[in-house]
This record gives sequence, C-alpha cells and structure tokens, in this order.
Amino acid sequence: MKKPYAVDVEILKNRREFLEVMGATVGFASLAACVKQPEEQIYPYVRAPEYLVPGKPKYFATSLARSGVGRPALVESHDGHPTKIEGNAEHPASLGGTDVWMQAAIYDLYNPDRSQATLRQGAPSTWKRFGEEVLPRFSASLEGSGCAILTGAVTSPTLAAQLDRLKKTHPKLRWYQWESAHLDERFRATQAAYGRALDVVYDFESADVVVAFDADPLFVDAGSLVYARQAARRRRDADGFTRWYVVEPSPTPTGTFADHRFRARRADVGAWVTELAAALGLQEGETRAAVQAMANDLKAAGKKGVVVVGPTQPADVQALAFRINEHLGARGTTFKTIEPVVASPVDHTEELRALVKSIEAGETKTILVLGKNPVFDAPADLDFAAAYDKVPLRVHVGAFVDETAHRSHWHLPARHALESWSDTKTFDGTVSLVQPLLRPLYGGHSAHELIELIAGRAGRREYAIVREHYEAQWGAALESRWRRALHDGFVANTQHAEVTTAPKVVDVKPRAVDGLELTFEIDGTVWDGSYADNPWLQELPKPITKLTWDNAALVSPATAGKLGVETDDVVEIEVEGRKVDAAVFVLPGQAEDSLALSLGNGRRRGSRVGRGVGFDAQRARPSDKAWFTPAKVRSIDRVYTLVTTQDHHRMEGRNLVREATLAAFASDDQFAKRPDAKVAKLSLYPEHPREGEQWGLTVNLNACNGCNACVVACQSENNIPVVGKEQVANGREMHWIRIDSYFEGDETVHNQPVTCMHCENAPCEVVCPANATVHSPSGINEMVYNRCIGTRYCSNNCPYKVRRFNFLLYQDWETPSLEPMRNPDVSVRSRGVMEKCTFCIQRIQAARITARKEDREVRDGEIVTACQGACPAEAISFGDIADPESKVSKAKADARDYVLLHELNAKPRVSYTAKLTNPNPAIDEKVKG
Amino acid sequence: MAQLFPESANVLARTTIILVGAGAALGIGIAYAVQSSPLVTRQDVARAQPVPFSHKHHVAGLDLDCRYCHVYVEEGASAGIPPTHTCMTCHSQVWNEAEALQLVRDSYREEVPLRWNRVHDLPDFVYFDHSIHISKGVECESCHGDVEQMPLMWKANTLQMQWCLECHRNPAERADADARPSDDCYACHR
Repeated sequence: MKKPYAVDVEILKNRREFLEVMGATVGFASLAACVKQPEEQIYPYVRAPEYLVPGKPKYFATSLARSGVGRPALVESHDGHPTKIEGNAEHPASLGGTDVWMQAAIYDLYNPDRSQATLRQGAPSTWKRFGEEVLPRFSASLEGSGCAILTGAVTSPTLAAQLDRLKKTHPKLRWYQWESAHLDERFRATQAAYGRALDVVYDFESADVVVAFDADPLFVDAGSLVYARQAARRRRDADGFTRWYVVEPSPTPTGTFADHRFRARRADVGAWVTELAAALGLQEGETRAAVQAMANDLKAAGKKGVVVVGPTQPADVQALAFRINEHLGARGTTFKTIEPVVASPVDHTEELRALVKSIEAGETKTILVLGKNPVFDAPADLDFAAAYDKVPLRVHVGAFVDETAHRSHWHLPARHALESWSDTKTFDGTVSLVQPLLRPLYGGHSAHELIELIAGRAGRREYAIVREHYEAQWGAALESRWRRALHDGFVANTQHAEVTTAPKVVDVKPRAVDGLELTFEIDGTVWDGSYADNPWLQELPKPITKLTWDNAALVSPATAGKLGVETDDVVEIEVEGRKVDAAVFVLPGQAEDSLALSLGNGRRRGSRVGRGVGFDAQRARPSDKAWFTPAKVRSIDRVYTLVTTQDHHRMEGRNLVREATLAAFASDDQFAKRPDAKVAKLSLYPEHPREGEQWGLTVNLNACNGCNACVVACQSENNIPVVGKEQVANGREMHWIRIDSYFEGDETVHNQPVTCMHCENAPCEVVCPANATVHSPSGINEMVYNRCIGTRYCSNNCPYKVRRFNFLLYQDWETPSLEPMRNPDVSVRSRGVMEKCTFCIQRIQAARITARKEDREVRDGEIVTACQGACPAEAISFGDIADPESKVSKAKADARDYVLLHELNAKPRVSYTAKLTNPNPAIDEKVKG
Repeated sequence: MAQLFPESANVLARTTIILVGAGAALGIGIAYAVQSSPLVTRQDVARAQPVPFSHKHHVAGLDLDCRYCHVYVEEGASAGIPPTHTCMTCHSQVWNEAEALQLVRDSYREEVPLRWNRVHDLPDFVYFDHSIHISKGVECESCHGDVEQMPLMWKANTLQMQWCLECHRNPAERADADARPSDDCYACHR
C-alpha cells in the first residue's frame, strides 16, 4: 500500500518527453495565472455557541499520558478542533514545558490510519454484535473464573477505583499490567531499600552537584518537564552554576547537559556507584580518581548534592544510590521518595510472566487488553504471542489495528485522550483531569465505560463515571471544585506526601558481562513503540544520532572497528539463542563494547507509517535482563541504508558552538565575542531602520538539552509536512528548526538549535528574482509563498542552510481527517515553494492586532513563538530588541551573546548565549577520555 | 555563396519582431483587464441567494445596525454570518408564514445550516481581520459599499491587493488619524 507521505516521482525518460512536459508546464502556468476563485458557500450556525468567536482559538487544560503518567497540557482549539498542544504553565508538574510526545499527540488524534471500526476476526463487525456475542461470555468468566484484564500502568484514580471495585465484587478477576518501558527495577530498588514500592522525585533547582548514572532525568523520566526546567534555571547564568556528572552507556540529552560525561557500559555502572559509595565512606573499596573527585564535590555540596541512578540499572545499584543520597542528607532538599503515582506498583515483568503461566495452565478464559500491545512488546523469552493465541476469547482495545489486535478475536477502536473524560496523575502525584476537546471522531471506546460494561452496568458514560469518583470525595463542593479543576487542569495540592523510611543496606552484586553488552533504550521518538504510528515522530531526527525513520545498533568507533563493521552494515545480534538483525550506526560517545538498540521499532502491524520501520529490539529482549544483556554480534553480508540528518545543512568547522569553562569566563567574559572582534563590519547594505518593534530571538545553549520539543512544536504550529525516508535521504526534510549536534571528543556533545536567522543583511533576499523573500520593517525575513517561483537561489545563498523547499507535493491535500489538524492561521504550502521559519508571524500579528485595538504597544512576553512555548528548559527568548527592558534585549546584552558566522556580517536577529561549563579542576582532561 | 534570404526578408523579420512584441503586450494587457474586470472579480455583480435576503430592506428600511447580525466584527477576524437563530428572533413573529422564508424555518426546525453563496471571498493566503479595521475607524461601507442600497448583495470593490494597498498606503482618507496600517507582506500573508 502507498505510504501516506510517499510521493510518486515520475522520472522523465528522454529529452522529447521532458520538452513535452515543460511545454505543458509553461502553458498551464500561464493559465494558472488567470484563475477565477472557486465559488464558495457559507454555512452559519443554526444556534451559535455563546462563547465562541469564529477564528479565535480557545484553550482547554487537559492531561496526556506517556506510559500511563500524566503530562499536563493546554490544548489550543480552533472552532472546535484541537490544533496545537501547549504546556500548562500553572500546573506544578509542567511549569509550561512540553515534550515531543505531547506535541505529536495532535497528529495521533487525526491520524487517518486510526482504528475506526469494531473488528471481529479482522472483519468489520458491530458494537451490537459484540454485545451479544462477547459480553455474556465475559460476564460468565467474571462470575466464575478465568477473566483477565491487561492494562498499562494505571495512574487514573477513577480507573483504579473502578478496577478495585470490580476486583472486590469478583475476587477471581485477574488484573495484569504491562509497560514495555516499565519501572520494575526502580520498584525492586525501593522495595529493597525502603521495604516498599516508592517513586523518587528530585529537585534539581536546589542541587549544586548532580551525579547521574545511566539516567536521563531531563528527557525520559516521568518528571522530565519539570526537571529540564529546574536544571536549566541553575545553568543559564554564571551565578549559582551547578555541576553535572553523567556516567552512561549511550549518549542522552541529559548527557549533553553534563560538565563531565563518562562512558561506561550499563553493566559497569554499578561498579562506578559502588566506588562512589566507597569514596563517601559508606563501604570499603578502591576508587578511581574521577569518582574520588565526584565524591569530594558531593561531600562539599552535602544536602545540595544528589545522585541519580536510572530505572534501567539493577535494583541493588539504585538502592545504593538512595543510600548515598540519604547519607548526603539530600532527602527533603534535592531528593525525596513519595507514594507511587501508579495505582498499583506491581512488577510488570512478573505480571506478564504470571499471565502467560495462567494461560498455559488453561486458567484464563477471556482477556481484555486495554490499549496495550503485548504481542509486539512483551519480552521475547515469554513467547507471549503463542500464549495469547491460546486464550479462548481475546478482546483488544486500541488506537490502531496493531500486532495484538491481529491476534485478537475482537478489536475495538479506542478513544484518543483529546476525545475522552478521564484523569491521570503526574510524576509528583498531582491529580490532573482529562477533558475532551471534541466528540470522538470514530466512536471509540473508553476504558472507564468498558469496565463498567463488564461489571454489568451498561450505558454508563465516562463523564458520569469520572465525576462520580470525585463526587464521592468532594461531596457538596463538587461543582465548584470540579469546575476549578477542569479550568486549571489539575486538582490543587494533591501531590503525594513524602515517605520517609531509613534505608536498608543493600549489597551491590558485581556484574561482569564478558564480551559485548546489548542495551535496550527507550526510543527518543517512538518511545516503546506506542508512538510508532506517528509520522511526525518517525521523521523527527532522534536526539544526538539524528537518525530518522529507523533505529540502529549504536556502537562506538573502536567497537565498530573490533567488529569489523561500519555504519549501514547489518549485524546479527544473538541473545540467548534469539537472533535479531540490525543496522549499525557508529556513534562517538557510545561506551566501548556496548551496543545500544532502542525499543519500539520494527513494527509488523499497525499504521502504514510504522510498519517495517527500524529493527525490532523486542525480539532479543529477555524478561530477566530487560535493559542490558550479554550478546553475540556477527557481521552479516548485508547493507541497509540508514538516514541521518546529521550531515545535512552542514556548517561545521566554523566556530559555531562557543564554550568556556566558568573559570575561563571569569577571567575573560568576552570569550564568545573575541573570535569576531577582528572582522571588518563593512557592508553594501543600508542600515536596517529601527522604527517600531524589532523582533529578535536568543537561544541559551546552556539550557538546551536537544530534546526536540521545539522541532515538533514548530511542525504542528506551522503545518509542516512529512516527506518520508527517501526524501530525507535526499536532504529534503522540511523541519524549520534543526538541532545540530556536535561532538567534542568522544564524550561531550553540544546541541545547537538552528532556525532562520532573520538576517538584517539577508543574503537570500538579494538573489530572489521574484522578490518573494523580502524584509519587514520589524526585521523579519519574510517568505511570500505566492510570489515564489522555486528558483531556490535563496536557499543556495543562505549561509545557515535554514530554507526548506517543497520539491514535491509533500503536503497531504487529500486526506480529509488531516484538514482540521492544521493551523488555520498558517498557509498550507504546495509544491515548488520555498518556506522557512517566520518567527511565528501568525502569533506576532495576533498579538499586534490585540495591542493596537487596545491602543498600546505589544507587551514583552505577549508573543511566545511555538518553539519558545514548547521548550521545557526555557532556552529560547523572543521579543522586541528595540526595547532595552525586554527579556530578549537583556539576553542579547549578555557578554556571552554571539551570532553564527559573524564574519559574513549578515547581522542575524537570532543569537546564541555561549555555553558555560563547570568542570571539576580535579579531574584531569586525560580522565575525560 | 549566394545569399539565402533576399533583402525583403529584413522587412518580414522586423515586422514579425514588432508584431510578436505588440502581441505579447496586448496579451498581457487583455489578461490584466480581464483579471480586474467584474468577469473575474465579480465586482458589482449581485449574487443569487437561496433565501432572497435584502440588505436594503433590513438596513435602509428597518434601520438595523450591521452589528445586530454581524456580531463578531469588533472582536474577531471574521465578522460572522448570523446563525438562523438571529433571523428567527424576528421572523418567528413577523413574516412567519412567508414562503420566501421557508428555508429559514426549515433550517431552524431541522437544525441544518442555511447555505449562503459567498460574496466577499478573499484567497486563502490572505489573513484579513475585521476587528482591527473597525477599531481603527474604517467604516463598513469603505469596503462593502452602499450596502443599504443592495437588495441582493454584491461586492462594491475588487478586493484585490492593489485595492487594499491604496488604503494601507494612504490611510488618512478612510481611517482614524492614529491608524498605522502596514504595507508589509506579512501584515496579511503568512
């Protein structure tokens, strides 16, 4: 079947054909110039909704979930259709930031490949027939025994209460949970250290020294939105600067944030933590110099130091880190443990194992899979798919007809979060309501309603179910508190209380993995595969590798040499007798003898987008070694083309990322400007007049961790199309922002978001023969689509390589479900047109019109560009540079402010705040690698 | 070698060059004239409507304010076409059995929108905002013409960019003194 983003390219075979086509093109082009506008009709409302002004967006607070945990959002809705996700600045677990998965949720809602019909044995059926055939059998199994429900991690208080009630009335019901990105080791660790399952919450704003072992708190952790903001706040400026150490097997956004990044195999991280414990006097043992330096730093920081160990580490290693934090006195300042936010903190691997066992024993007669895809993502050794086939009645509820749906007797389409009433808890336990933005597009079923249905209470609607849950708690205050919570998006003061228990001593077992280690990583775009059907995410260059449309086996250059492979070579990875093929991607920054493969790729079913993309790590993943395992790797004689945008739009080798240590900055605060000092500022252009508002933008390189939220936010806000792997391979990706990653040695990675620089002396403008790119009085480099004739001279002359050309008709003009997804305030571009960042002109104009109507100037902070609003780290400032009091003017007045390619004297309006690092002088440069 | 062309061929060549040039100029001229003629712009061409709504009757005859029906004109980009409900505020009482209004009553009863033929239609790449124009003192009739004399609605102006720019470059005639319209591309195109 045709991929939705693929474009057929008819190759013109000979000169005659070419001339024919060109002749026709000229003819049609002249005809096109004389078009008469098509006649349109207007359908007004019959009764207009009172609150709605046509064309004015409304914002509703709700909550999206990632692996079950809430991500607070503010959803922009245009005339009844949600078009854009923003962060909820008032929410304590968001503070206004977003991530790529939140941003891309809009596409999931309108995805034309969403499951739209009830399926029986794969053929369309009806809800009525489901009721007749399935419900009696479910009720029978529920009354007797053998009924199982499989869900993901559940944080929804309402759903948890419903399941609880159902279990109370039907004690033989089995409720299993499975998340591929599970927290089993985390809960085992808190169990071992504190005697019970707990969640760990950090406060990086209070931390002076952070040591992260195999952890990615700024990107993957449930608290990433808040953590990224806290961490960035302490590193934006030289005052009160923190120091971050990161030890990790594969580079992560958190790793790019570090002052010292050390590469270590996942199996060896335990040894590092053990050494740190020894250096801090918690136990006996030797310590390497770097760890000693960390220990000294932590000791000096005391309660303002914190050790973070990721949930991918074995429980004993994590438990030791808890003890170190307690020893430092970090509890209550930078570290705390709280009641788990999931309703039932069970061990997901054990759950799935128990389910398989119960099926094999013939005890499970009926199963309801709610929104999960275990046939795809269950650990390979459990052979879940084979077991699943043995259940006599299998019902799957999901957004896509995925692997599990294909093996189920019945499949029901699920409702999207933006179509549902529900609730979630965020990482700190705050209860956040989920409210629908529109009626379900394809009907679809809600977990709340299905549970009630099984319990024999048919016809109960999710709104009533969720509200009743709160009525029981709030009683008479229901109405006012409900309205408040809906408006705010959360129920105030529902954070989970801290749980304080003295930690037990847990011995760390030495783990020697001989030979090569295979690590399983949560994917930077498709997560555990739940987002694999989203083309925005598939095309998004993954952090650091910049791989799109594939995952790959990441190996360090030295290991690749040892294995005799290079990028694009396919290797066979063997784990406990199971074999998986994957293409190799050589990545500096990767630990030696460690091979990283991300989860969630290699989907076999689902939408047209996700199928056949990447390599299926799940098929090698053992249940008892969920995050790393010894593996044998053999090069096979095959080559696979990986596509990375790393080498597209290259500017390398021209002093682009400027960086200094804090110490160097103290002695020379002009370091960022110095390389430009000798450049003559001669120009043939007249000075740009500075009347009225003058827009400018800065990016603080210290805050950016390369999480990509801005890239997807821009795509969503500006109707940017997806082009597909083949086109990306040709360098034709359309993202208006790219995040360049630069390696410094094998350890350090720098991120640099690059967007249109809006040069005052814009090189693109003078070369356009059609005057299609011009300068606005407020300093915006404008792209006028209707004038563009597609010469691409502008892009050739752009030194920053930020212009994107519609080589083909990338935008999907035909699929009706995608129409309401687009931002109605931004033109949808067609083939043959150049496009690029506009500084979100639609937002600027909206704010300007509002201000002019109120006879005032635009206030600082009134205009928030899409990238700025999405950034969880507040890396981007935007505003009027003619106003010396504006935030952006102050950022540009910073001594560290510099522009890219200053020597060209293009006078960009986008500037960068140079990066500062705070390395420990005790750690010798040699130790760094 | 003998000459291939006789001397008279020069005349033929010159004439051809001139004719081709003149033809191209004429072609462009005709195209331009057609583009700005009512044939394309539909200026001054009244459009038939499913319900023969008369602005002349409602504005000149009954003295209704524009904003009675076009309620969003001061707040939003779009002035808004009134919902059937607005029609029925009066027509449930007056002319409530008139045949001409059958479609309006049907729409109200069956909750199905009326389908008006659009008269003022800007291209999709133009982002016009009514509210800012009203706020800066541009009268409705500056663009929509003498609506109170229009039984069926027609466009009083071309609504082409050149016409927009006339005012954006010389606002004094039609807008308040403090109006600062822009002739920047991004003022209207995004």
